[in-house]
Order: sequence, then structure tokens, then C-alpha cells
Amino acid sequence: MSYVPWATAAWLSAVGIYGVITSRHYVHLIGCLTVVQSATYVALLSVGYRFGSVAPIFYTRSPSTPAVDPVLQALVLTDIVVGATITALLLALTLQVHKKRGTVNPERLRPFRQ
Amino acid sequence: MNRRTRLVVAGICALAIAPAVAVVIVHIPAFGHHPLPYGDAINRAAGAERHVTNMVTAVNFDYRAFDTLGEELMLVAAVTGTLVLLRGRRGENVSDRAAQAGDRPVCERSEAVTLACRIFLPLIVTFGLYVILHAGLTPGGGFQGGAIVASGTLLLYLGESYSLWRRLMHSLIFDMLEAAGAIVLVLCGLLPMLSGAAFLENVLPLGQTRALLAGGLILVENAGVAVAVTAGFILLLLEFLEETRATRGGEKP
Repeated sequence: MSYVPWATAAWLSAVGIYGVITSRHYVHLIGCLTVVQSATYVALLSVGYRFGSVAPIFYTRSPSTPAVDPVLQALVLTDIVVGATITALLLALTLQVHKKRGTVNPERLRPFRQ
Repeated sequence: MNRRTRLVVAGICALAIAPAVAVVIVHIPAFGHHPLPYGDAINRAAGAERHVTNMVTAVNFDYRAFDTLGEELMLVAAVTGTLVLLRGRRGENVSDRAAQAGDRPVCERSEAVTLACRIFLPLIVTFGLYVILHAGLTPGGGFQGGAIVASGTLLLYLGESYSLWRRLMHSLIFDMLEAAGAIVLVLCGLLPMLSGAAFLENVLPLGQTRALLAGGLILVENAGVAVAVTAGFILLLLEFLEETRATRGGEKP
């Protein structure tokens, strides 16, 4: 069973990338990017996990209690916050594309010609 | 490139990468039995060295505070980019009327919605502040609490009115708060250097373990991050809500 988390992460990034490739709408494409990103959450948290250990909060426990890795949890926290703001930025770009070109289908968009 | 070509190219790439992925999945140390030397060292040492009990906060705002500084600047850059893109044509002028779906009549909001929002708004904001303040003690911190507070303020729009939410959420104030949060974090790095310490070195008195005001510089950085995240998320909500507003005939966009 020990390969399940890694396979899940690989699967999430694969379906996300498939979605990006076949996307016909930028909002759908941004959703697929979020799926790819969630693969990193699964991978990072699985690396930091350890059987029979507690969360790295030692308010009531002694610091020698076996605990999961706080470094990877901090990395995931960073990942989520930046991911949320980047999603907002991409959605704003989508709005601009819609205003300027009247379509949000990546296949219909051609480079600007001056 | 049409869709079929893209899929063929992607398929070839996937076939090329698949063996490597399979080898990694088979050979990576077993799940739940990883050697985690860095995390273990922090779990052992941070409580005594920094007087905080939440190790994730110790990593974020002290041991790897340099990364958090970079993340914070990325956040500010992303929010700024979004604001520039969305404000582009509209400028900083704002409306006080919510979006309308075509010519459908605007319904009065039900009193039940208003009551529920008035009950939950203070609760959610208080919970967000609790999460921010207890960064060093229990799970939470500026990032999580800031997101909770910012989304909680949306209940003003839901329960009261768009104009009230717009009047209370002045974008100029939040522009400045957003920048102030990032500046606090940068100053947390630079000011210790005046005393001869390293960039972002924790030079403040650490306080007592398990007290609310423990952790020295961690407290200041956490406050800066909380302010920046709250302001950033509120600005994003403001601009996207403004964007949904349809213009009436004769009105400037």
C-alpha cells in the first residue's frame, strides 16, 4: 500500500495536464492547473508523514513525542497561499482576454498582429 | 497545433516520462517511514530555542523566514498585478450598486439572511483573529487567519448591501495595508542588522513558552503577514465583485 500516495500525486498531475491540453475554456484551464498544483500538496504531505506520530504542536505534549515534519507542512502552506493569489491573477487575465478578444477559448486565440 | 496533434505530442511525452515516474514510485522510501532529519531537529530544538509550541510557525517565521519573505513579495506582486489588470480601464472609481443579471428584478434580501450574517460575521472575524493571534501556540497563523477574516467580511455584502460593503472597504486603505504588511516583513529582516545580527535574526526578547506574546520577532512577522494577507484578499474580492457589475445605459464603464 505504500505506493498509493505517490501514485495519487502522479495521477493528479497527469489528469490536470490532460485537462490543460484539451481545454476549451480558460476558466476550465485554470481549474486544471489547480488540480496539477494539488498533486504537490499530496506529494509534500506524504513525504512528511510518519506512522504513529502527532501533529508538530507541542502545547500539551513534550517535544520528544514523535511528530510529523513541520518543514513540509510549512511548504504546503506557502504553496496554497501563493496558489490562491496566482489563480486570482490568471482569472483577471482571462477577464482581460474576454474583453479584448471576445472569446476565452485558447484554440480560437491567435497572436496579435500589429 | 490542433487538439489531436497536442494529444499525440503529450502522449509521447507521457510514455517517455512514465518509466522514470514508475521507478521513483517503487524506490522512494516507504510511506510513513521517511527519514526526516531536518524536521526532527526543528521539533526537538524549536521549543527551547524560540519559545513557541507550533513548529510550523517556527519554520515559517523564523528558521525559514527568508522563504516567507519571498512568498510574501510574490503574494503582493500577484495582488498588484490583478489590481492593475482589473482596474485598468475603470480606474479607481467604484460603484455602490451590486451586479444585476440582465433585466431581472432585484429581490429584497430575506430577513433570515441578514440575521444569519449579523450573527456569523462577528463570530467568523473573531475566529480569524484568534487564529492569527495564536500562531505560535496552536495550529494557525497570519496566512490562515488573514484568509478567514477577509472572507468573513463578504458577509457584509451578503447580509447588508453592496453599497455598505463598498463604503466600509475603502480600496485606498487596503492598498496601504497590503504594502505596510510587506514593508513590516522587510524591516524585520533589515532592522536586526543594525544591531550586528544577521538578516531576519530573532533578536527580540522571546517571552515565556505557552504565553500569547512569546517568540520575539515571530510575533511581528506574523502580524505583518496577517495584515498583508487580509488586505490582499479583501482587495481581490473588491475588484472581482466590481468586475461583475454590469453597466447601465449612459453610465461610464
